[in-house]
Amino acid sequence: MGLIPLLFVVLITVITIGLGIWATRASRTASDFFVAGRSVNVFWNASAISGEYLSAASFMGIAGMLMKNGYDALWYPVGYATGYLFLLLFIAGPLRRFGAYTIPDFAEGRFDSPLFRKIAVTFVLFIGLFYTMPQMKGAGVTMVSILQWPYWAGILVVGSVITFNVALGGMKGITIVQAFQYWAKLFAIAAPVFVLMAVFGGYHTNLEANLRQPAQTPKLSERVLLKFKGQRDAPANVITFPADEAGGSLIFPQGAQVARLSSARTLKPGERLIPLASQHGDPTFEYLQMERNITLPRGGYITTYPMQVIDARGQPVMENGKPVRAPLRIEFAEPTEGYLAAGAAVPNAPSNQRWIEPFGTLSGKYGYPLLYTYSLIIALVCGTAGLPHILVRFYTNPDGRSAKRTTMLVMVMLGCFYVFTPVWGALGRSVMPQLYANHATDTVVIRLPMMLGSPLLGQILSGITSAGAFAAFMSTFSGLLVSMSGAMAHDIYGKILRPASSPEERLRAFKVSAIGFGAAAMLLGYLVETFDINMMVGWAFAIAAASYFPLLLIGSWWRGLTKYGAAIGMLSGGLLSLAAIVTSMLLDKKILAWHISPLVRSLMEQPAIWGVPLAILVMIVVSKLTALHIPQDVHRKMLRLHAPEEMGVSKDYIDR
Amino acid sequence: MRDEKHPIHALSEEEHARLAHLVMRRQAALSLRVAAVFLLMVLGLPLVNYYLPALANRPVLGFTVSWLFLGVLFFPITWALSAYFIRQTDRIEAECADWRAVLGIEAGEPLEPEGVGEVKPAFIETDAEKEQE
Repeated sequence: MGLIPLLFVVLITVITIGLGIWATRASRTASDFFVAGRSVNVFWNASAISGEYLSAASFMGIAGMLMKNGYDALWYPVGYATGYLFLLLFIAGPLRRFGAYTIPDFAEGRFDSPLFRKIAVTFVLFIGLFYTMPQMKGAGVTMVSILQWPYWAGILVVGSVITFNVALGGMKGITIVQAFQYWAKLFAIAAPVFVLMAVFGGYHTNLEANLRQPAQTPKLSERVLLKFKGQRDAPANVITFPADEAGGSLIFPQGAQVARLSSARTLKPGERLIPLASQHGDPTFEYLQMERNITLPRGGYITTYPMQVIDARGQPVMENGKPVRAPLRIEFAEPTEGYLAAGAAVPNAPSNQRWIEPFGTLSGKYGYPLLYTYSLIIALVCGTAGLPHILVRFYTNPDGRSAKRTTMLVMVMLGCFYVFTPVWGALGRSVMPQLYANHATDTVVIRLPMMLGSPLLGQILSGITSAGAFAAFMSTFSGLLVSMSGAMAHDIYGKILRPASSPEERLRAFKVSAIGFGAAAMLLGYLVETFDINMMVGWAFAIAAASYFPLLLIGSWWRGLTKYGAAIGMLSGGLLSLAAIVTSMLLDKKILAWHISPLVRSLMEQPAIWGVPLAILVMIVVSKLTALHIPQDVHRKMLRLHAPEEMGVSKDYIDR
Repeated sequence: MRDEKHPIHALSEEEHARLAHLVMRRQAALSLRVAAVFLLMVLGLPLVNYYLPALANRPVLGFTVSWLFLGVLFFPITWALSAYFIRQTDRIEAECADWRAVLGIEAGEPLEPEGVGEVKPAFIETDAEKEQE
């Protein structure tokens, strides 16, 4: 795109390194490294938690998903922000009061079981690595779209800068950086929106356009060159044109390799497609006869009008009194590009009504929209309350009371950020609908500013959002790296491998693990180029929702929970959810070709609705069966979780 | 250390259980009350969307009713809920801070009959041992 966005990205990277080094000078002791000396005040801690939480998925993914799916995707910003209410009501205070450093500390301290620490620590690393992959992918993709750098370059920049910061300064080093990055991200998502709204109309104006013409889909206002993906990126190599809309010619200047050209409507026996009146002499129908492996010459074209369906007797097939139109579907074999005519409907875009009303393309995918919506809500709300890299931040509060205040301030900060993300989606839909055709709605925050009349202003605003996106990858990745390195140094090295090690040795272990995990994350990020950012984030959330959330909720409030109940419940919920999601992804990618009912398919893609209750149920049943193993001093533990500090029962695991 | 200032560690196991029960019950009641309001909104909205689409999709100020509620108003409502929760939880904690009052023991009253008090150092030791592990 240009020099100006690059300057902004360089600027945010330099500030990140500079602030990290500056904060590091104050970071000396082991406590500084793991929990920032427990001395971070409410405002800075809330800024840092928000900064850490707003990841690639929040910054780019939600706006993109909203543009793609409309109303259904509103549940994402709402769930991400209000999940903290559950955290506030049930977990924040008790967790901080218990005085453990990490979730594994809680697991061991609550149940007196070193084995449980090992299980819990495995989950920290597991969820952490799952969550780093989308951050890395976001960094790679952004650099591709800003500077046409190769995919690995963005990963290398973000990965090494953050690994350096974390290894140098630990938790204290990144707290100030993350706090700064929250404000940078808020500015980057909000400020350009006001400029864009001044030019392209307000939030409500752009939504209203959808209400006025419910049956229509977005059209191109001018001729646009679209980029198409090949089979390597399946299913993103498929484009489907709307059924009830104007078409146009799609001209391929360099030709095209089409794996399959067909109607998106499955034809019944005897039915066939015929051109509408305007399409005579159009080569599209010859290609449709060939169906598979079609080579279009340079300058070759396809027309994208919907087709008429006729039955065996040559009569038009009717539905609800109207002749049925069959939409055109193209599956590309190789990446290519093509010009789509002005006025033509954009492929892959849902109709206005489907977009603005609930139960559209996202939740309606498998025909059980209400079930899908509920499962999504549960995953987001419970997952937020169970993310280890966020929970570890609560230990940086001085006491349980400030932990609760921090949580509330986080909700306000996140709400202020998330309320802007749907505006990007709504503006993107009316101003830059070509992103649908490219399956590139994820880049709407980066590319929408370029639609402004002034290229200079466009570049500056795009630079601001690119810098915000970079802040997002860097802050979330640094938080994950701290929680994984902390788990490694504090829980595995310090408590399991070498319990006799000195604080200095543990500090060294922290630095070594940071470098190791940093390298592993970069490698994993490189490998997941074709995966969807939101999908990967969904994995982390679903696993957290069905493992840590039940552990913390039940562990804090029910004295009858035993280590066996907690561990087996957490494992069964977490692992079964993971298995369901991975299977679902393999089915999406057509690596597995099972025939599964849409109901089961929906439950597999969004497992929280059964995963969370299952984990809780297993915890209760197994605990009842192993009731002899309830810790002897369970009442003292419960009191420590819930009593205000003044009562004098709380204590920190490691002295200040 | 703290145990000298806070003789709470000398309470018997039964008194601990009773104290934990009393403190938790009050806090759980508050948390559940606020959670019920939140769940009513978050789980009720999809039902409104599903069964009352005419209401949910009615245009208002350029938004639909449902979009305006979920995409804009939902955030400040949850802030208000959490502000209410924090005010109430602070009140509960202030009332619970004096554990003697919670248990109904008057200040200055001896905790346990003399002689039984000797259990105290033994307990502190076990606690310290646990910390070393």
